[in-house]
Amino acid sequence: MEFLTYMGDVFTPINFALLLIGTIGGLILGATPGLSPTMAVALLIPFTFRLEPAQGLILLGAAYTSTVAGGAVSAILLKIPGAPANIATTLDGHTMAQKGQGARALQLSFLASAVGGIFGVMLLIFLTPVLAQWALAFGPSHLFWLAILGVTVIGSLDSSSVVKGLLSGCIGLWLATIGFDDIMGAQRFIFHDAVAGGINVIPALIGLFAIPQVITMFAKGRKRLDAEVIAVKKHPIGAAFREVFGRFRALSIGTITGSIIGLIPGVGGQIAGLVAYDQAKKTSPEREKFGTGHPEGVIAAESANNAMVGPSLVPLLTLSIPGSPTAAVLLGGLLIHGIFPGSDLFDNYPDVAWTFINSMLIGQILMCIFGLYVAGLAARVAQVPNAVMAAVVLGLALFGSYSVQNSMGDVYVMMALGTGMYFLERFGFSAAPLVLGLILGPIAEANFIQGSMIANATSSMGEYFFSGTLNLVLIAIVVASVGYSLWMELRDRRYTTKDDAVLKEESLS
Amino acid sequence: MTDLPRSQHIIASGLVAAVGVAVAYISYTQKPADAFLFPRLISTVFVVLALWTFGKAVLGRTKVGNGLSREAMINILPGFIVALIYVFWAAKALGFYTASTIAFFILLTLYDPAPHSELRTWIKRAIITAGFLVVMYGLFALLLNVFTPKEILF
Amino acid sequence: MKKLLAAASIALMTLTGGAFADGHASYPERPVMLMVSYGAGGATDFQARIVTMTAGNEDALGMPIAIINKPGAGGRVGWNWFATQADADGYTLAAYNVPHFIAQSIEGGVEYSTENFEPIANWGADPAVFVVAADSEFNSMEDVVNYAKENPGKLTFSGAGLFVGHHIAALQLEKAAGVKLAYIPNNKGGAGAMKAVIAGEVLGGVNNLSDAFRAQEAGNVKILGVFDLERNEFLPDVPTMKEQGYEIDNASVNFRGVMVPKGTPQGIIDKLAETVPAMFENERVAKRMKAGGSPMHIMTRDEVLEMWKAREETLKELLAGL
Repeated sequence: MEFLTYMGDVFTPINFALLLIGTIGGLILGATPGLSPTMAVALLIPFTFRLEPAQGLILLGAAYTSTVAGGAVSAILLKIPGAPANIATTLDGHTMAQKGQGARALQLSFLASAVGGIFGVMLLIFLTPVLAQWALAFGPSHLFWLAILGVTVIGSLDSSSVVKGLLSGCIGLWLATIGFDDIMGAQRFIFHDAVAGGINVIPALIGLFAIPQVITMFAKGRKRLDAEVIAVKKHPIGAAFREVFGRFRALSIGTITGSIIGLIPGVGGQIAGLVAYDQAKKTSPEREKFGTGHPEGVIAAESANNAMVGPSLVPLLTLSIPGSPTAAVLLGGLLIHGIFPGSDLFDNYPDVAWTFINSMLIGQILMCIFGLYVAGLAARVAQVPNAVMAAVVLGLALFGSYSVQNSMGDVYVMMALGTGMYFLERFGFSAAPLVLGLILGPIAEANFIQGSMIANATSSMGEYFFSGTLNLVLIAIVVASVGYSLWMELRDRRYTTKDDAVLKEESLS
Repeated sequence: MTDLPRSQHIIASGLVAAVGVAVAYISYTQKPADAFLFPRLISTVFVVLALWTFGKAVLGRTKVGNGLSREAMINILPGFIVALIYVFWAAKALGFYTASTIAFFILLTLYDPAPHSELRTWIKRAIITAGFLVVMYGLFALLLNVFTPKEILF
Repeated sequence: MKKLLAAASIALMTLTGGAFADGHASYPERPVMLMVSYGAGGATDFQARIVTMTAGNEDALGMPIAIINKPGAGGRVGWNWFATQADADGYTLAAYNVPHFIAQSIEGGVEYSTENFEPIANWGADPAVFVVAADSEFNSMEDVVNYAKENPGKLTFSGAGLFVGHHIAALQLEKAAGVKLAYIPNNKGGAGAMKAVIAGEVLGGVNNLSDAFRAQEAGNVKILGVFDLERNEFLPDVPTMKEQGYEIDNASVNFRGVMVPKGTPQGIIDKLAETVPAMFENERVAKRMKAGGSPMHIMTRDEVLEMWKAREETLKELLAGL
């Protein structure tokens, strides 16, 4: 309970003001397309130069928590995921917003984020030493199997056909290999200057989700618009509270999956939302509602991606190993004040360490309050006429993808992928598995190569990849996941007739 | 309606399969072989799945995907052309803000249901465009210090 | 909103007003961008953010420097972009890492070499060190080399990638000790390589002195030797490789600094070469760098030019034996 001792430090006027600035600024930065939490936190680092260590970390901690949640705003309202963490949120969140339930979707997402986030930070507070060992347990072979597990999730994710889902995933995996190979430095598939540096995930995300959206709005044409005025339904906050806790299965699956996956260095943050979404879908009796604006999709995805925030800092705070790019930036924030994280961090600098963790705890609550407050207003975005919306999203996509690396190449990649995705979507392919392939490809490849190098030097490939409890458990889950998808495909065909499938797609577009 | 999507499906899945075959061909022929180990693995699965999908399309068994309707294509075309010119040429050649102003205004004019004969609606469109530009400038240029290409004016 | 509008119009006026002035006397007229070819949070990125923090001061550039990350393939992505696509207008700078980019240009497959870049100034020198996990049975380089002699090719050790400083150090060690080792490059840079050591995935590793110093402070690793000519002030107790009987020079020391693309106007290069080293010498910068455990080593443009040339010769010789 040591963290309570330092709780007061968060509420001194200056610290609390910084916390507010971090939270509100984080929400705005998080909602800006192209700005991932990592970049947002990196942008704030210079501001912390002049602050006391604890104050600087309050700002960074609050910004980290709220940028992750802020990404949901653009995911739900504009169908532009702010970061890979928010991909799963677009699947149901944006459909809800289109039905005029934007306020409800946002409220659910902020509440679920806060619940997941607080749970994650609590894990960080109470279980750090245990969790640190767990985080270290994942070596190259385990990360490889984990990535393969992610790939098997692909088939069942947001696609009406498992084969086309897997094929979309393969396209994503291939796109990920474009550019320099990460270990050898060989050039692969560089057919145009714009992809010489590989395909950056953030511009690709923007293109794959936002551009098809823009073109779909064009498709509605000029005349039909008069008929479509979406009524934005108001949604009482109390009802949102009841709903979040009422859908307890989705909430707990999201929170627990997010916490566990968030711990694993190098993988966690990006896929936590997608894996939780997939799990929630597979275990739900209302499986077929996912993807058509089902609140459980939003709850699972958002609780997972905020639950991962706390655990993702465990390797950093105890072992001084940044487990994610954002943690690496936070490490910088500590180092400039001469604070070296490590197992004795909490003994040497308890005031800094605990104030930082407390700020994330309070930050979650402030983020939730602020988010709930603006949800009703923000949901009005759905009422913006199609013409304006299409132009705004296109403009944001351009600026957002450019700002990631100040590169026109990224902008071209964004537009080319987006255009391709629009046509692919018309033929039953979908963007979510493609993006998952794009994210997992490098993880699977790098760990496979590293693992095989270690295996060749020490034992054999078979022994390295197929022995050990953790390897076997992961392989078992992979087999179960594949088996489940196949079984679903064969036994219980999701759409018995073509009309059913068409009906679902109509509701989506 | 029945035959149009089928032939479209054949074309679409055929294109995907062609990409798959090209990727596989490159993966199996390029050097150094070490660096292409993983692409080989992927492209093999890619080709198998793509041919499967193509086969289903040829047999007319494709279950999902609505294809493209004529009406939608006609609606898309003008906006799509504006978007392509905007992103692939104007943004760099004219500068981000200049190009955005023009593209934004043209898109509004093309798709805004308000009548084009009234001056009031033109003013409204101009105001919305200006508002959007101010927000973009404030957010990206002032707040985030992003240096976008500036060719004409700003 | 009103404030935003006012700010926008003021910014607009300054921008359009400035565009008509010519010559380089008033350079820089707008914020400058510094490309770092490693990810946000890496050692290079972290140090670049510190050493450029005073750029906006009147006695430095008078304009802020913004960091842009273009990570990938051990720096190749960023430097390729810098050599081929960056504007040579003085507003696009980049951080260099020697020996990384020189080794990569010798190895081939990239579009840059020392010919494409003009150095401005050097800010830091981070030697490579050999680390093992805290519970490892190795206590000196001798133990490591003996193990490698008994088990040729089985001593796995991690580093940040191929043809970067760590890899050079590994090659030098193999050559000097006459053993065969299994170098495992990591795709997550120094941090990933360090994790592999601490988690026991590999038996040892080559890593940055600054990161290893921190990991040792945290009680996670032991540092067995420094790949440099002299002992380091951060680690006065750790002997150099030479002291332990291995003929290894400082070819793997990671020099970090600022450069511009070839073709940047000479006037701008001169102005930068004059102001940037002074900017690095700022007291606040030194304090932050020291706090972060990052060794500073400031060099002027002429010194860097010489260092690049010398490094290129050593590396050509070393890599020719591969």
